[in-house]
Amino acid sequence: MAILKVNDLKVYFPIKAGIFNRTVDHVKAVDGVSFSIEQGKTYGLVGESGSGKTTTGRAVIGLESIYSGKVMFNGKDITNFGRKNSALRKDVQMIFQDPYSSLNPRKRILDIIAEPLRNFENLSMQEEKKRVQSLLEIVGLSPESILKYPHEFSGGQRQRIGIARAIAVRPKLIIADEPVSALDVSVQAQVLNFMQDIQKELNLTYLFISHDLGIVKHMCDDIAIMYKGRYVEQGTTADIFNNPQHIYTKRLVSAIPDINPRNREKQYHFRQEVQREYANSYNDYFDSEGLAYGLQPISDTHLVALPERG
Amino acid sequence: MEVNNTNLANQIQDPTKSPSGLKILWKEIVRDKLALVSLILLTLITVFVYGIAFVLDQDEIVRVDLFAIHEPPSEEFILGTDYGGRDIFGQLIIGTRNSLSIGFLVTAISGIFGIAFGLIAGYFGGYTDNAMMRVLDFFQVLPFTMLVIVFVSIVPNYTILAFSIIMAAFNWMGIARLIRSKALQEKELDYVQASKTLGTSHTKIIFREVMPNISSLIIVTMTLNLAANIGIESGLSFLGFGFPESTPSLGTLLSYATNPQTLEYRWWIWVPAAILILVMMLMVRNVGEALRRATDARQRRG
Repeated sequence: MAILKVNDLKVYFPIKAGIFNRTVDHVKAVDGVSFSIEQGKTYGLVGESGSGKTTTGRAVIGLESIYSGKVMFNGKDITNFGRKNSALRKDVQMIFQDPYSSLNPRKRILDIIAEPLRNFENLSMQEEKKRVQSLLEIVGLSPESILKYPHEFSGGQRQRIGIARAIAVRPKLIIADEPVSALDVSVQAQVLNFMQDIQKELNLTYLFISHDLGIVKHMCDDIAIMYKGRYVEQGTTADIFNNPQHIYTKRLVSAIPDINPRNREKQYHFRQEVQREYANSYNDYFDSEGLAYGLQPISDTHLVALPERG
Repeated sequence: MEVNNTNLANQIQDPTKSPSGLKILWKEIVRDKLALVSLILLTLITVFVYGIAFVLDQDEIVRVDLFAIHEPPSEEFILGTDYGGRDIFGQLIIGTRNSLSIGFLVTAISGIFGIAFGLIAGYFGGYTDNAMMRVLDFFQVLPFTMLVIVFVSIVPNYTILAFSIIMAAFNWMGIARLIRSKALQEKELDYVQASKTLGTSHTKIIFREVMPNISSLIIVTMTLNLAANIGIESGLSFLGFGFPESTPSLGTLLSYATNPQTLEYRWWIWVPAAILILVMMLMVRNVGEALRRATDARQRRG
């Protein structure tokens, strides 16, 4: 059974205007998104800036209020569950994008990592300290650093502190919102491999939000491509990378750089061709408002947003 | 440049200390000689005034002595006497103590209330913020002096605490507004969002997460408010709505100067009080300004 099931999720932000501050329209940040994730898998959510991928993640964990749709976790409805059900809250944790602002600068590492422990588990000071130290060891930091402050760590170390905090209460699902986009490439690999290691160890499920296709290919079992709040294509990693159907996906995949200089010429022509196809068939793939159509299945795992054909 | 280098070296040598917060405030005061001297003098005056006032007998000082009216400064009366033959020096000390106590109390009461109000309004935002800010607006349009005068005259038991509470009731809006604007900024940061996803309660987030991060702003505003609040009591006493003559205050001493005779010929009655008010307010302000500079890295000297 799927651990997380999202059904027709919509997150709208009101546009207010006029002297009475009435809601005149909505920004449709997420407009009818459905997916499900199996236990122990990694589900990738890819899209350009403003495509609604972060909003989707934040809505699942309850940081954005949901306009309509349903979020089911382990078969229970957690739509807009807020802080009512702490048992569920404990099972879903989040890794934030910016390791500089996601740690309170006034708190010691001990207090930062122990925050979820204090909220969900009654531990004595000694037990708590031990747990924090073992968590620091898991993420590869020295257990002596519990009395330091966040600014004494580098970006990569801070992100690992954020991860330690997220896995402290042994959640089942972790929403990773661009966990490595603020880090430089050498550290990215370190953090990503580490995330995969603890995934195996703790049987974690990831909802992995990113705009970097290379990382997504490396990390994810299933991938969804988002554009303007809607899905354009969804499938396994192989489906998306080897057999992209939607023109937007094709464009994205063709944009992945190839490090082999012999292929430079070929890549260039390929991109030109995709660009031409994109320009020519834009109207076939997007409706009059420039939004993607509803998803049509083309195989068991592969869904593409295509107009319904007669 | 050299100054910056030594600071940097200090920070590197002592990595366990957080360079933010109280330490920066303290460094800025030490760097600004005027503020440092002000702080020392202010501490001395406070200790001196509270120490001597503890020994002095207030009933003895305010007793009318018709044989010693308008005595100029002498060995018996260091600063002379007023029209009731009362010792000016004793009145000055006790008056300063009262003014200082009221200043501290008003700052503390209005500060605590204003900070809590601003934090809650800013953190929750939306409708809560809107409703709370309209209440605040209502308080802000009330004529402050008039209302204080009315309240002061209907309060049966006229003590320092009662006076301070009345003053504070009309004095918390400024700080509340300031703290709210900062809280609005702060709550958008990821660490607050993270605390929410980790299941921390709103109260805990507001007072344990957000408040420590704006503590330097709180300290600065409270200090600058203190300077203003010390003057408020004197102002009302001067107008005749402060404490009765049986309770000496700096404002009462000043108001004797409304008599032309006293103003021209008996300087010892009002000049010391005037100087003391001026000096105290200036010194608190100097310290406050140094603290305010410390919160803005571009203006820092230390």
